[in-house]
Amino acid sequence: MKNAQFLYWKYCFLLVGLLISSEVVSQNKPSEKKPEIKELNEVIVNGNAVEKRKKEESLNVETVNSSFIQRNLGGSLMQSLQKLPGVKTISIGSGGSKPLIRGLSFNQVIVVENGLKHEGQQWGADHGLEIDQYAVNRVEIIKGPSSFIYGSDAVGGAVNIKPLPLPSKNSFGGSVDLTGKSNNALFGSSFNLYGRNENWFFDSRLTTMDYGDYRVPTDVVHVYSYSVPLYKNHLRNTAGRELDFHLSTGYSGEKLKSVFYFSNVHTKSGFFANAHGLEPRNVDIELHDESSRDILMPYQQVNHLKVSNTTSFNLGNHAFETQIGFQKNFRREWSHYVNHGYMPPIYPDDMYAPKDLERQYDKDVWSFSAKDEFAINRHKITIGTNVVGQENAIGGWSFLIPAFTQFNAGLFAYNKIELNEKWFLHGAVRYDYGTIKMKSYYDWFESPVSENNQTQLEYLQRSDDLTKTFNSFTWSAGVNYNPGNLTLKANLGSSFRMPIAKELASNGVNYHYFRFEKGNPNLDAERSYQLDLGMEWQQHNWSFQLTPFVNYFPNFIYLNPTSAHDIYYGAGNQVFEYEQSKVFRYGAELQTRYYFLKSLSAEIAAEYLYSEQKSGSKKGYTLPFSPPPSVLFGLNYEPQTGFLKDSYFSFDYRFTAEQNNIVPPEKKTAESHVFNIALGTKIKTGKENISINFQIQNLFNTKYLNHTSFYRLIELPEAGRNIIVSMKIPFSISR
Amino acid sequence: MKKIPFLLGVLALAFISSCSSDNAAIDTEYPVIDITAANSFPIQCSTIERGKTFTFKASFNDNVELGSYSLDIHHNFDHHTHSTEVNTCETDAVKKPLNPMLFINNYTIPKGAKSYEATAQITIPADVDPGDYHFMIRLTDKEGWQTLKGLSIKIL
Repeated sequence: MKNAQFLYWKYCFLLVGLLISSEVVSQNKPSEKKPEIKELNEVIVNGNAVEKRKKEESLNVETVNSSFIQRNLGGSLMQSLQKLPGVKTISIGSGGSKPLIRGLSFNQVIVVENGLKHEGQQWGADHGLEIDQYAVNRVEIIKGPSSFIYGSDAVGGAVNIKPLPLPSKNSFGGSVDLTGKSNNALFGSSFNLYGRNENWFFDSRLTTMDYGDYRVPTDVVHVYSYSVPLYKNHLRNTAGRELDFHLSTGYSGEKLKSVFYFSNVHTKSGFFANAHGLEPRNVDIELHDESSRDILMPYQQVNHLKVSNTTSFNLGNHAFETQIGFQKNFRREWSHYVNHGYMPPIYPDDMYAPKDLERQYDKDVWSFSAKDEFAINRHKITIGTNVVGQENAIGGWSFLIPAFTQFNAGLFAYNKIELNEKWFLHGAVRYDYGTIKMKSYYDWFESPVSENNQTQLEYLQRSDDLTKTFNSFTWSAGVNYNPGNLTLKANLGSSFRMPIAKELASNGVNYHYFRFEKGNPNLDAERSYQLDLGMEWQQHNWSFQLTPFVNYFPNFIYLNPTSAHDIYYGAGNQVFEYEQSKVFRYGAELQTRYYFLKSLSAEIAAEYLYSEQKSGSKKGYTLPFSPPPSVLFGLNYEPQTGFLKDSYFSFDYRFTAEQNNIVPPEKKTAESHVFNIALGTKIKTGKENISINFQIQNLFNTKYLNHTSFYRLIELPEAGRNIIVSMKIPFSISR
Repeated sequence: MKKIPFLLGVLALAFISSCSSDNAAIDTEYPVIDITAANSFPIQCSTIERGKTFTFKASFNDNVELGSYSLDIHHNFDHHTHSTEVNTCETDAVKKPLNPMLFINNYTIPKGAKSYEATAQITIPADVDPGDYHFMIRLTDKEGWQTLKGLSIKIL
């Protein structure tokens, strides 16, 4: 059965390959397709720069800009990027998501914003990325191991959010973004103001978002075996709010550029009320269903503050860049006190934590990095270092991970050799040192412990004082060959990831999935070896790209469901314990676009991924959150009209295959067929263009499950039909 | 020249498909908790008396090998949860717990067993609060698949 499915997909890919090759032969109507020119906040960036980067980079890089995000606007940044093959999300309701690149997520994918590695609570499945998608101008997604650039964690890939382009000289202006969504009755707005004289500039933004419970095309869901009726298709208590502020300011001269970045992202969002705690719960339906916009318990509040400075200057042949950063992630999860294990039935009055504060994480991160880029003949060399220190405090009445401090330092050298116009070689080495120090924790209540038929009451120890140190040497080597329309690339690299506190020392209940999670202090640093290939063909009226990869982990860190139950803190719940196993993965993405006319084009974007554990307790099983194969068929019509600029109409159909490759506690997910339409245009008013975008996601209100959704395990279907209208009104005040 | 991308594509695909999987069938089936037999106890809406010992009885099945099970009795004085069963039981009014019964224990199942008749003796102390309780059965198989059964019971 499994083999049959595998063969089916193999032939699907072969068939698409054949179709494309027949197009090679039949194409004979070359049309002039001008290089894409995009206006980015008053600065004109040529589309060729992105093409050039692709041709000179041996890893597979996808770059998108803010107009891509606007056209495909989802509930959060990663949801807006899902159209890219190989990029998926683990969505937490309608307003939060985390990146899933080629099936890897959590601490295996890093997010970099303005050069600073984003540090939140990315280990948690309920944690969404704290990034304001309105503040994103250009995103680069590296689908492959990038540890040699970013250090630990970039095993699966990186999402690099580039700094905003600087405003042009002697300008002053801004824009207003307005967004409305029908499904969760969202209203969002973002206000931007920027200015610059000769050398000094500022760029600021204020974003607000307010949304209600999202709606699904069903009136009853089955949380494990418990059936939960939904009121008017609303997923109870999934409303949320967001308030973000950004400011970048600094000096840009000929020899020196120094920019300060300041941002604060604040969100408050509810969790589906019937599935939080120790078991699926009954809720006060009258209270919950009174309003679809209120946020009742359980909910989370997250505040992410970032302050950094990036300074670059040239000295002779050398381009230096330094960066100093501070981040503070403060996350609180609120839920009614539920005594479990031997906690007292009534919450004690003299407790250290407020009654409904279930968890609290407080993370402070200081970082410093420096790099020097210089050229010697054909060698373009970058050497750099970075040092990061972090301190993590915990709070709340429940325990999952201990408080800890962490220190990391790395040193790298990267050499890009331009042999000639067609050939590029790449080589990189990096050394990392990391140490993590976890603090001991004792229960605040006593549990009965039996020994030699004597039962005693004890404060059980949840975690020990434990210090772990890791060293790692990683490398990467690549080649590019660009003969004419063809671009070929290959890269072989190693990556590593230091085990995190959750993997080493967790010892508590995951209230979303009703399970007891247990760390393993003996874990080694995770290593990965990956071969990436890339092939691209670009011609006037068609393009084609295929990016296969093979990946091997000798010691993948994996949360293994055991057959045991925890009878203390876990209140009888199933024990999941961290283990390491050999993992073999491979897959490919394919993208092709064909222009029938200058204004009419069709595209196909497909992805396939296979993962298998080659050793350990789950030998033969896949990894959790394995995205099933999917193909996106798109039709785009972009008429050239005089009055309206950049008009487009697009129709997408995404076929997602069934996922039968599962591992406990996952469930097999059926195939799905989802249709989206989008249209938009720019209206010229004076000097500026007002852009209007309109989208209908899930056009036919299809009820389907997404295998990689946070809520998949409890059988919650994806959002129903969603009509999205967004508008961007730029303005400028000339001097 | 134009054939190059196609040939490369085929090569890449051949490379990918050559890594075909050869693993034996993996277990993707959940274990089953069966409380339909006449002597199963407790079942939905069962009542249990304080100061007495009762015997838990259920039968478990799995396609490959059973793992272990846990039993948990906790109060439902606040009506916080329903059960996995279709029929509902009559409940008392909401009340505050003073000395509610709390019982959590795990039990092993002999290795290699595909089916198992589970029995366990549970004593209800005489001084616990009477009222609505939940009786949770959590059964795993060797691979870690888990099935839950949540029953509403009353302690008199």
